[in-house]
Amino acid sequence: MATSRTRPTAAGTQFLDPAVLGRIGNLELLARTVVDGFLTGLHRSPYLGFSTDFAEHRPYMPGDDIRRIDWRLFARTDRHYIKLFEAETNANFSVLLDVSASMSYGSHSLSKIDYSRYLAACLAYFSSKQRDRVGLATFDHEVVDYIPPSMKHLDTILHTLDRAEAGRPGSLEAPMLKITDMLGRKGILVVISDFYEEPDRVLAALGPLRARGHDVVVFHVMDPYEIEFPFEDASGFEDLETQEQIPVIPGKLKDDYLAMVNAHLATLQKRFTDNRIDYTLLDTSKPLDTALFQYLLSREKMSKGR
Amino acid sequence: MSLAFLLPLFMVGFAGIVVPIAVHLTRRQRRNVVHFPSLMFLEKIPYQEQRRRRIQHWFLLSLRALALILVAAAFARPFLSQSDVGGLGTAGPRAVVVLVDQSYSMAIGESLDEARTEAQQVFDGLGPLDRASLVTFARGATVVARSTSDRIRLRGAIDTISASSGATRYGPALKVAQTILEESSLARGEIYLLSDFQRNGWTGDEGVRLPPGSTVIPIPLGTDEQLDNVMITEVSLPRQIVSGRERIAPTARIVRRGGDEARTVSVALEIDGQTIQSEDVMLEPDAAQAVSFRPFTLSQPHTTGTVRLPDDPLQADNAHHFVLSPGTSLNVLIAEGQGSASDVSLYLRGALQISEDGRFDVRARRSSSIRPEDLAGVSALFLNDVQIDGGSAERIRDFVESGGGALIALGQDGGWPASAADMLPGTIGQMQDRVQGRGGRLGYLDYEHPVFEVFAGPRSGDFTGARFYRARAFEPSDSASVLARFDDGSVALAEIHIGRGKVLVWTTSLDAFWNDLALQPVYLPFVHRLAEYLGGRAEPVPWFVAGQVVDLADPDALVTAGLVSSEAAGLADGLNQIVLGPRGGSTALPAGSGPRYLPLEEHGFYTVRQPSTNPDRPFVMAVNVDLEESNLTRIDAAELALQIEAPSGGPSMGPSFGEAVALEREDQERRQQLWRWLLLAALGLFVLETAISNWVSRSGAGAAAGVAAG
Repeated sequence: MATSRTRPTAAGTQFLDPAVLGRIGNLELLARTVVDGFLTGLHRSPYLGFSTDFAEHRPYMPGDDIRRIDWRLFARTDRHYIKLFEAETNANFSVLLDVSASMSYGSHSLSKIDYSRYLAACLAYFSSKQRDRVGLATFDHEVVDYIPPSMKHLDTILHTLDRAEAGRPGSLEAPMLKITDMLGRKGILVVISDFYEEPDRVLAALGPLRARGHDVVVFHVMDPYEIEFPFEDASGFEDLETQEQIPVIPGKLKDDYLAMVNAHLATLQKRFTDNRIDYTLLDTSKPLDTALFQYLLSREKMSKGR
Repeated sequence: MSLAFLLPLFMVGFAGIVVPIAVHLTRRQRRNVVHFPSLMFLEKIPYQEQRRRRIQHWFLLSLRALALILVAAAFARPFLSQSDVGGLGTAGPRAVVVLVDQSYSMAIGESLDEARTEAQQVFDGLGPLDRASLVTFARGATVVARSTSDRIRLRGAIDTISASSGATRYGPALKVAQTILEESSLARGEIYLLSDFQRNGWTGDEGVRLPPGSTVIPIPLGTDEQLDNVMITEVSLPRQIVSGRERIAPTARIVRRGGDEARTVSVALEIDGQTIQSEDVMLEPDAAQAVSFRPFTLSQPHTTGTVRLPDDPLQADNAHHFVLSPGTSLNVLIAEGQGSASDVSLYLRGALQISEDGRFDVRARRSSSIRPEDLAGVSALFLNDVQIDGGSAERIRDFVESGGGALIALGQDGGWPASAADMLPGTIGQMQDRVQGRGGRLGYLDYEHPVFEVFAGPRSGDFTGARFYRARAFEPSDSASVLARFDDGSVALAEIHIGRGKVLVWTTSLDAFWNDLALQPVYLPFVHRLAEYLGGRAEPVPWFVAGQVVDLADPDALVTAGLVSSEAAGLADGLNQIVLGPRGGSTALPAGSGPRYLPLEEHGFYTVRQPSTNPDRPFVMAVNVDLEESNLTRIDAAELALQIEAPSGGPSMGPSFGEAVALEREDQERRQQLWRWLLLAALGLFVLETAISNWVSRSGAGAAAGVAAG
């Protein structure tokens, strides 16, 4: 089981099975269910890094809180002004979701794309509750949908996630390059993909994002069948993206396959770590807490960095 | 000779051989396909299962492909093309059919010798690749030699040509020639028709359709000049009973065709091979005369007779043969009521007693009771207006079931016991009067029934003159057949079969009380026919015409041929028989359960007896020639040839050249029918392939299991 990086779940936290989540049709409800449950289980306050910024002054009106009078301005102008603040977003938070055809695979009730959509919805909801500006980009071999980060885009993001479908061949480099140009301010970028590319190409695609100063969090979503390869019967294996088909006798190939997959995962993990990219391997049969903890960790790191 | 296809478009089906290859290569993969996100890792693994991508069983694949090719080729209708289009009808080997007329008119002069010579000349002209057939024909056709190039065999076939007793019919011979040419694979067909070309032999609607490229070459034989031919066209043999002995007074009709001046012809009557009388008759050219001979006594059964003319060019029609046997009288019993008028059977009895040949032995009984001894020896029973008691009805039932016939004539007193109502063809009702106008008439007669069939022809008896004033209502049963009805639709005569016999009901009287039928001329033959039908008498035929066939296992046919019933039953019982023909040839007819047909092909007398026996008076059948052949009027040979060829080969009426070529190709394909063999071969290959593939599959499955386990 390639979840060694998963943090232990907080005591008393109850997480819903992904298959159960799959039966919740509304993504917002799903995200709220997951996130609120997750937060309830935490010992610390979820409102980390909350602060306000000065917006403008306005004349004091009877009834205003006298604690909000700007006494320095009163000293200079001899008039009472109220100092107005507006809530400040902590960061830009964007989810980059892979919707290539390989993400449609699912050996059980939940496919990788569904799992990824739930994850993206939860993260967006969670970030929105922290007053982050949330954005979304879906891509396969090109950018499919792009929603720039904003405080008001949560509904749009959830709607876009709701209709996101995996069907076309995918690649990382071209869409990542385009997204790099699209994203103005640096922020937190969560990349959700199955990364069926060579590690060098993956790093070549994500490297520019990191170079722009984004905090990049990578969730590598894999189905348990991809990790364990439990097939037995000789069959024709068809690539979901290219429709290429090859005959396979799993019994003869399993060991080689597992070795290659594990080597691939290890290489990715090493290369991401080397490039200061947080990497988490997610098994679609496991609850979403691992991903949320990973995100929380990244959020904390970013907050400390300010 | 080259292979060609009638429907080459079907050869597209050859592409079907990719099907087994594709199936072979893809079958296993289609069976179980796993969709996987990416083959990135799997493709990197050096080992791949390549086995199914290779063709392993070349032999099986070849069988499948070959079978499909054969099926496609069969649909393309292949044939071995044996002639070029340009050579159609102009070159190449020939199929020659020589048709030789052997009707009895060919015996005139040297016609048969000419036929043999001409046939030999045709055969001498055959090329090395030609094939010839010899067919002799008269009424029918016989293939003496079929599609051979063996000259010796053909010469032997020519030697068998001889005159028959049949009349000329070109149709059957040409049909045989058509069949031979159709079956032949040679490009050209030639029919040599050797005949004296009598017009009577061709009607024009024979339906002969010769294959394309066939030609008819007529070779007229004999002479065109008008012959002086005298023939016997008819012989009547009326019987008389004189002093209890049966006497025959033959009358022959002599016809002369041709000739220039009157001449005297001597006509002889031979009985049992002895000339007993001879009469001279003066015959004008193209005239006819009747010759009456003095009566002779007929005392022996199967007496053979011949009316013979002097020799002339056409011999076969100079003799007319017949066979006679003394007639046997039919015992008729007329039962009438005790209280009936004395003259109730006056007309009926009188009619039955009026017979020159004494065919009916009539007895009458005035009683309502019929005793067993009354019915002894009786063949026909007339119940004339008599009320029969129940016991008598049962005795009549036994009589009928054993083969007798009864007619119930209903009158004022006539009736039938209810206990035996099932013997009647229906239910007897009340009297019905037809007094309005001039009474009723007979409106319907079943002229196909033996009772009325002699009245079917014109001027053969008029029932319409009879008036019927009263009759008994009669409701026929389902099993009954109505033979006559009155003009108002009510039943006049009905019949029912019981056992081997029959019961007829005449719903009015047979005297002159209720109708005046008894006063009509038709009454006497009607009563005679009724009695003969009831008694089961069949009129013997004194002679047959050449070409007819007799079934010697059929008693009725033998009775018709002149054998009395008891003898016929014995002959038909299945004993071995031997038949001696007029020319001395014998035919064995072994005992058997099926029919024993004897074709009467020669004119003269056929004698039938059991082997190793020599009866004094054996069963004899006389056969005369078909007199149509005596009309020697000729048809123009070239005209006949044109008529034969026209439907298929005429330049104006026939198909165009292209159509002829197409017909030629179709014809060749139809004759060869190679597609049947191809389909059979394909079927065999499929069976073989199934067996082998099953075996391979079983052994392969075992091997695969072993590999998986390993």
